[in-house]
Amino acid sequence: MPPRLNLLSFSRQIPYRPKPQTQWRIQPAVRIAPAQCRAYVDAKDPAPADRSKRVDAKPLDTVSDEARATSEVMGETGPETEQGTPVEDVVKGDKEAQAKLPKVMQDKLKANSSGSGPKGTRSYSTASTPTTGADPYPDMGLLTFNPDPVAPDVPGVKFGLPSLPLPKGSHLKYRYDDIVDQVTNLLMRHGRKSVAQRNMSLILQHLRTSPIPTINPARPLLPGAPPPSHLPLNPILYLTLAIDSVAPLLRIRSQRGAAGGGVALQIPVPLGQRQRRRTSVEWILGNASKRRTMGSGKGGFAQRIAQELIACVEGKSSAWERRNAIHKLGVAARANIVMPRRR
Amino acid sequence: MASSTCLRRFSQLSLDRATQPAFAPRSLLAATQASCFSTSAARHANPTGKKGMGAAPKRGTKTLNVKKGRKDTVKDLSKKPSPGDRKAMRKRIVLSNNNALEVPGLKDLEKDNALDPSNEGKVMGLAENVVDALRAVEAFKPSQGWSLFRRPATLMRKETIQVAQLLKEAEEAPEGQAKKTLRRILTGQRMSGKSTLILQGLAMGVLRDWVVIHLPEGQDLVNAHTEYAPLPGSQPTQYTQDLYTANLLSQIIKANEKILASININTNPSLPFPLPANSNLKQLADLGIINPEASWPVFAALWKELTQPGRPPIMLGLDGLSHVMGESQYMSAEVKRIHAFDLTIVRHFIDHLSGKVALPNGGLVLAATTKSNSPTSPALDFSIQVAEARQNKASDLPQWNPYANVDQRAMEALKDIEVLKVGGMSKEEARSIMEYYAASGMLRAKVDEGFVTEKWSLAGMGNIGELERASVRLRV
Repeated sequence: MPPRLNLLSFSRQIPYRPKPQTQWRIQPAVRIAPAQCRAYVDAKDPAPADRSKRVDAKPLDTVSDEARATSEVMGETGPETEQGTPVEDVVKGDKEAQAKLPKVMQDKLKANSSGSGPKGTRSYSTASTPTTGADPYPDMGLLTFNPDPVAPDVPGVKFGLPSLPLPKGSHLKYRYDDIVDQVTNLLMRHGRKSVAQRNMSLILQHLRTSPIPTINPARPLLPGAPPPSHLPLNPILYLTLAIDSVAPLLRIRSQRGAAGGGVALQIPVPLGQRQRRRTSVEWILGNASKRRTMGSGKGGFAQRIAQELIACVEGKSSAWERRNAIHKLGVAARANIVMPRRR
Repeated sequence: MASSTCLRRFSQLSLDRATQPAFAPRSLLAATQASCFSTSAARHANPTGKKGMGAAPKRGTKTLNVKKGRKDTVKDLSKKPSPGDRKAMRKRIVLSNNNALEVPGLKDLEKDNALDPSNEGKVMGLAENVVDALRAVEAFKPSQGWSLFRRPATLMRKETIQVAQLLKEAEEAPEGQAKKTLRRILTGQRMSGKSTLILQGLAMGVLRDWVVIHLPEGQDLVNAHTEYAPLPGSQPTQYTQDLYTANLLSQIIKANEKILASININTNPSLPFPLPANSNLKQLADLGIINPEASWPVFAALWKELTQPGRPPIMLGLDGLSHVMGESQYMSAEVKRIHAFDLTIVRHFIDHLSGKVALPNGGLVLAATTKSNSPTSPALDFSIQVAEARQNKASDLPQWNPYANVDQRAMEALKDIEVLKVGGMSKEEARSIMEYYAASGMLRAKVDEGFVTEKWSLAGMGNIGELERASVRLRV
């Protein structure tokens, strides 16, 4: 529709100043439509359709309401309409009906019926353990947690500024040692992180209880490594040393068609720290899975990995040969590296 | 309806009429599943009925060869563990870690200071003879963290001091009164230290020269893994577990060798084999080990000897109580499950736990519940609730739902039992044990107020198992 008033059609200019309140009206983008939803049985106000004055035009009650009304007349207790009955209550004591419940509800029922508590393996407890003396106001561990009594020097900062650098583990997402985190994730199968974390803990425990390693001088560890007698007392350092010592410095990338004659050109590519660790952990995991489990139960895989890590530090692991082979190949192929020419 | 569907329905109609027999199908699911206008079944039919008769694949085409990878797998030729080795490895109990540091100033529990209330909140070491006795009665468990430290040491908690008080009470009877038999059920959350508390009780018993008898796992008594036989002359029939009893006798000997060797036989037990003159209790028990079929009479004779006046007090322990609070896996001659209370060893323990039989020389009966491996026992749960309410002097005791099924015998046995609740540690106790962890070199952190509070809170207000896991086990 063309505008009723066309400003451009005037030959001379007309001073036109629109009123500020009519110029721009703020309107909601979405208009709220009147509610047209159906009421539940227990809704307090009647359904909007039920506005007719005539009795015969009114919609019928729900089945439950009708049953309730009937039972009221008969002097019985009808169905409960104020509140829905939970399925658990309906099938209570009915073995046949319980067998046909969905798996989730069956599991829940089973968990409720067996007296034992939750069987999780988290490192913290969500259940509070009251001390034996019945204290009406148990100390939740927060009373002695007094914050630093530092006055806010900086204006506009309510709680003062944190002292930098932040202490280790104060970031929620990076609170654990980074190599422990990475190895845990590499241990994980089928997304079962809790199992991987348990295995990680068992590995560290095994490293801690195993005898002091003897270092092979032909396979030197990282320079600056502590003496082997310090390793079992610091299992994370032990793990780091084992992984970093066998980690390759580079990988070989095969570039197709660069050499000509259908031969792939092998180009050494340097790896970053995380990539190096990943490579060596994968070698270690591969070797560990080839070992035989001597015990039984949950800790077998963790034990094999720990043995393989110890073998790495002692220079007995075949991961060293793989590392040396890659380095040798890298040295041979270093002529293939084409550095960008500087101008 | 879309036209294609329409057509399909129509064709099915004709198909149905053609294929279905005159009589009605027995099940709705048995209706024909053939798809209409499909020739694939006919085309894929193999007239000879033999497999692999198709033409060889063309040269150069890729075929799916699932056997391809098999050639590369190398068979592991290393020596397999012999039968039983794997389980032995799993159940192995390691009590020392040579890498852990020696804790300076760690005092041992000794006979004089074992029951001293001033030990509360201290970590005390266990002497070698105590460790041997505890190992003999299988009080250590593989899931506990003994393997991390130089040598076994325990924290004397508030609950431990309570148990020590019980021992003291049982030892020191007032003038002119019979010695007391004290009975307790240890309850508490998972990993709250119930089994360790039993272990501490046993250790104190060993130190105070008590006779220490421990049934390390209730499940082993009832899971029908050991042989059993009806006890002749018992009405109603009871059942003996001969091998188990013989093993128990050998454990009793190992744990209490000195005491048993020092006591000569007073009574004249009627045994199926002759006893040498002037023999002591150790020789008696040895005979029971050699003749497992007579192990129960020997145990009974040993018990009779131990309850003679002037003999040492007795410490009786059982871990995993709820396993024995119902029917066992054993079958009677009528192919009915035998109630656990009809097994002689269990009955012996339950008689003492329920207070039906007293220990004339005084003693302590400790039974620990388990939260990680326990069958549901409504009678036990209810009895514990009632006992707790009674101890808290609650005005209204919990009422049993009269329509619920209950093991009446278990209910009867646990009628007037007392419980000892193993709760969380206080922060002082947590600090003490964490300082021990740090001194052992197993915890690399500065143990200060904030650190202790953090770990204590993470451990669900001082649950010791969780605390150990969060601090020394490096469980992320």
